[in-house]
Amino acid sequence: METIQKGTLTSVVVCSAEELMPGQRKIVVVDGVEIAMLNVDGQMYAFRNRCPHQGVEMVYGAVSGAMLPSNPGEFIYGCDNQIIRCPLHGWEFELETGKSLFSPEKVSIGNYVIEERAGSIVLKLKREPKNISLRNFRCTH
Amino acid sequence: METVLKENEGLKKSVKGLIDCDIHPYLDDFNELIPYLDEGIQRHMNIGKFEKNMLANMNAGSFTFPKARYANPNHVLRLDALTPGGGVPGSDPVFATQDLLDRHNHTFGILNIGHGTMAGYHNVEVAAGYTSGSNDWLYDRWVESDPRFKMTMSVTPVAPDLAIEEVKRIGHKPGIVGINLQCINIPLGKRHFWPLYEVAQEYNLPIVLHPDCEGTAEYAPPGAVGPASTYAEWHTTLSLIAQRQIMSLVCEGVFEKFPNLKFNFIEYGFSWLPSVMWRLDKNWKALRSEIPWVKELPSEYIRRNVRLGTQPIEESFHPKDIVRLIEMSKAEDMLLFASDYPHWDGDESDRAFLHFPDELKQKIFYENAKKTYRL
Repeated sequence: METIQKGTLTSVVVCSAEELMPGQRKIVVVDGVEIAMLNVDGQMYAFRNRCPHQGVEMVYGAVSGAMLPSNPGEFIYGCDNQIIRCPLHGWEFELETGKSLFSPEKVSIGNYVIEERAGSIVLKLKREPKNISLRNFRCTH
Repeated sequence: METVLKENEGLKKSVKGLIDCDIHPYLDDFNELIPYLDEGIQRHMNIGKFEKNMLANMNAGSFTFPKARYANPNHVLRLDALTPGGGVPGSDPVFATQDLLDRHNHTFGILNIGHGTMAGYHNVEVAAGYTSGSNDWLYDRWVESDPRFKMTMSVTPVAPDLAIEEVKRIGHKPGIVGINLQCINIPLGKRHFWPLYEVAQEYNLPIVLHPDCEGTAEYAPPGAVGPASTYAEWHTTLSLIAQRQIMSLVCEGVFEKFPNLKFNFIEYGFSWLPSVMWRLDKNWKALRSEIPWVKELPSEYIRRNVRLGTQPIEESFHPKDIVRLIEMSKAEDMLLFASDYPHWDGDESDRAFLHFPDELKQKIFYENAKKTYRL
């Protein structure tokens, strides 16, 4: 894979844009750390693949919206397609920031800058990786 | 020869003040209540001058109290509290001041009427008439007899509109410090109770729940799995009531809707608290979308809005374990001392807390109750 050093972040081309089309997901393993990558209606997201709670793979989580804080008895739906839920217990995380909804400052799956550049999907990392590979998985979402 | 029957043991000087959140006054004779009940209600209940004795045991007599299903095999009232005249323990306010308030140096003793089952009586007009009469009796005979006595007022949980009427009638009186609800088959979090909660919050009166109705023939047995066979089994299940009610209050958003309203659960113990907090917190993290009005950890709401009577205090394998349990629940500001005088399962303030540090005792014996009740 091609790496491009820029500023303090290292850009890594992980796959072609055709391999991460809207609705598709990928896992890239960077020096042993799994990063889940999602294309949600053309918007790209990348975050740690393991839920901080009990380590389940976030890549299997459902993407949805969330019930926003409300008054007792009210249901206000929002953030459509901006939330991913852990496939085990259902913890909700904001795709954009990786922060949990119930404790944004303390519980997070982190986030990585990901973008499409010249037909490639580029992930930005803090340091140049020694080992990087795509991992196969089965997901029917 | 002088015979000292009971030493004035008192509390250590390191703890200042004692508020007892559960003292039970009893009628020595049901007829004490007659002057406080409207004539129409007396006729409806066939009591007082309308009492019918004919065929009394054939389901055709005068009114009788709803009976608890479980009879204590020994005695439900402590035998060392029989009045000097041989009357029912807790039936003589003057003796109670000597036997309890003077002996333990009480600052305040909060009275929860000893036959509270009537508040949840199935006939709401009788329940409301009875609770009004018994509230007035309690105020006249007990609260007026000693400035240390305060009381919770009973209201019927079956009809919140009548409960609100009663609060508006007497809730302003200085001797009233809380509202005594009963456990009926409607969880405390339901909207059924919200109008009453609004008025309670306005009057700055906490809601108090104490075992009475559950387990009578009127309402469902406390153990969700079915009726217990014995008093020992039933009495142990009581703590489940408070746990279940707290879950309802949190999930229905009552503490969000009424942030200044306190709920005091008296006589359910407290050692189950970590389980309730931890289980609710865990489920909220996963299932908050179902109850989006719960905006912070359930344990935070519980810590802020729920208070628990200490009695009957759980006696851990090692006496200090219960103190550690309070620390791990961060429940130092939640606990209220209750003697439950003159019941058989009461706690003595000077003996039940021997392993508690003074700072914690100060909170449990005085500060927490002072901040929670309208004192």
